[in-house]
Amino acid sequence: INPAMPIRPPPQPTDELHSLVLQLIDRDQREGALLELSKRRENFPDLAPILWHTVGCVAALLQEIASIYPSLAPPTLAAHASNRCCNALALLQCVASHPDTRSLFLGAHVPLYLYPFLNTQSKSRPFEYLRLTSLGVVGALVKMDDADVINFLLQTEIIPLCLRIMESGSELSKTVATFIVQKILLDDVGLGYVCATAERFYAVSTVLNNMVGALASSPSVRLLKHIVRCYLRLSDNTRARDALRQALPASLRDDTFAAALRDDVTVKKWLGQLLSVVGPPDQSLPQGAQ
Amino acid sequence: SPDNKNATGGDSKLVDGDQHQTVIPNLAAYVHVNPNLTQLFHQVQGGPLATHVSSDLLKRSVPIAVDRAIREIIQPVVERSVSIACITTKAIVTKDFAMEADENKLRKAAQLMVANLAGSLALVTCRDPLHTSISSHLRTLLMNAIENNSNSASSASGPAASASTVVLQEPEKNALDQCVAICSTENLELGCMLIEKAATEKAVRDIDEAIAVTFSIRQTSRRETGQPYYDMTIFQDGRYPKELPDPLRPKPGGLRPDQLLVYEAFQRTPRQPTAPSAQTGSIDGQGARLSNVDQMGVDNQQPPVEGGSLGVSAGVLNLNAINAIAMKLDS
Repeated sequence: INPAMPIRPPPQPTDELHSLVLQLIDRDQREGALLELSKRRENFPDLAPILWHTVGCVAALLQEIASIYPSLAPPTLAAHASNRCCNALALLQCVASHPDTRSLFLGAHVPLYLYPFLNTQSKSRPFEYLRLTSLGVVGALVKMDDADVINFLLQTEIIPLCLRIMESGSELSKTVATFIVQKILLDDVGLGYVCATAERFYAVSTVLNNMVGALASSPSVRLLKHIVRCYLRLSDNTRARDALRQALPASLRDDTFAAALRDDVTVKKWLGQLLSVVGPPDQSLPQGAQ
Repeated sequence: SPDNKNATGGDSKLVDGDQHQTVIPNLAAYVHVNPNLTQLFHQVQGGPLATHVSSDLLKRSVPIAVDRAIREIIQPVVERSVSIACITTKAIVTKDFAMEADENKLRKAAQLMVANLAGSLALVTCRDPLHTSISSHLRTLLMNAIENNSNSASSASGPAASASTVVLQEPEKNALDQCVAICSTENLELGCMLIEKAATEKAVRDIDEAIAVTFSIRQTSRRETGQPYYDMTIFQDGRYPKELPDPLRPKPGGLRPDQLLVYEAFQRTPRQPTAPSAQTGSIDGQGARLSNVDQMGVDNQQPPVEGGSLGVSAGVLNLNAINAIAMKLDS
């Protein structure tokens, strides 16, 4: 506290919040309000319900999203437009993770408007940023361990979208996408869904295997952790466990990642559990592949 | 209904056996085929491409490829986009207009929102699959034509010759790829527009049905009690919107002009397909076509084009036919 500062009543944070939310409705003031609110969203605990219930606010955020669809293909999205949309997505992330608005957010099917962003392929920064922010919204949803979220997502194309990002995205996107798949698997219905057919199981395990393969040359402990957790969870399903006996990549069985995991007790423990549950591969069959 | 009869008018076009007509009537008038494309094949003079792929063949094949691709993709894309847009619009409009007694304002806002969302979703979803599909149909059509032509040529020279598969050499494969890529890229926008339009129109029809109760409850309330209807259930649970300050909250008396403006901003000028003013096939035909977009009238009441007069009917695409395709999605 600076004693030289004159004492006066601090501005009411809620008044300021309300005036920023009102600015979102106004097309001319929206851009500034998006930036300001997304920067300071942590300071306003009620931001999510206020955004949701303010007349015109969700409509304005959806307009922001739909307005950049035309720049997705052919890929012409500029940095400025990407930033602006990401600010809108950051506000939707608040709505997605707030307990009072999550089910309203799902009920209005808002997550589906992010899928066109997840479906983009361009490696340029505006696209990478847009994908990552969109993954963040879905990540915020699944983080809540809410069965309704998983049931909603399983009705949609989220798993294939995540799998493709896990295959070809940046390290950070891969990590968030793998986290989403991990959270889906941790739910009983989600695990059942992925293990219901051999096709689904191998779609997931093949991508996990490829990621492990790519990590051998440049290990990321953070990413490896989510991958191992996915495998470990898959092994809770009897049929998946049998399939993993052959499908588990050899590099998880030898000491390829020993140095990388030296300091991470949790991942080492999970990996040990995984190997003991799955058991050694049948030597008469090809290993590490489907 | 007379509408449907109009829409499927020219029924002969729907007969499967007719390989040279498009199901979407008059589509050929809007399809762009650069007549100079066959120059691509000159370097491979004497091969099956140069011999059998004429400008005329391209002009016949491209509309069929575009037609098949649209019909292959339109139903799942429109269905998904419209269903998502309706759910979103219903949820958002119902809460925002809870205290709006004028059902016409509510209805207009819902229509603008649903049309924008469904159209945007349809457009962004259909583009890549449509591109792939036009290319693959066009390639198949051209390869079939090459094989038919070369087989009939060889059976003319010797009756003993049996049907054989034409194998293209590498330079010819490249030339064909390029030709197919140009044709599908040049007509992609046309296909996208038609799918977007189908989605937009179905969305407007569907949202009316989805929120019909919100209209009737307002009308009934006025008629029977003389009072405007307010949906007070939005204040039942939770702190919000109850605790919102006045400028943010749904209030009796309905939406303020600045709040309505958000919904009016969903309005976009829907793009309309237009025929190239002249099929000169110049490379800059594309630009000329786009600049025409705003000037071209689209007449929904226009009777179907009869007989073989495809492409000469004032350059207006019969949108009833597109609507007919979208209508089928309703059943």
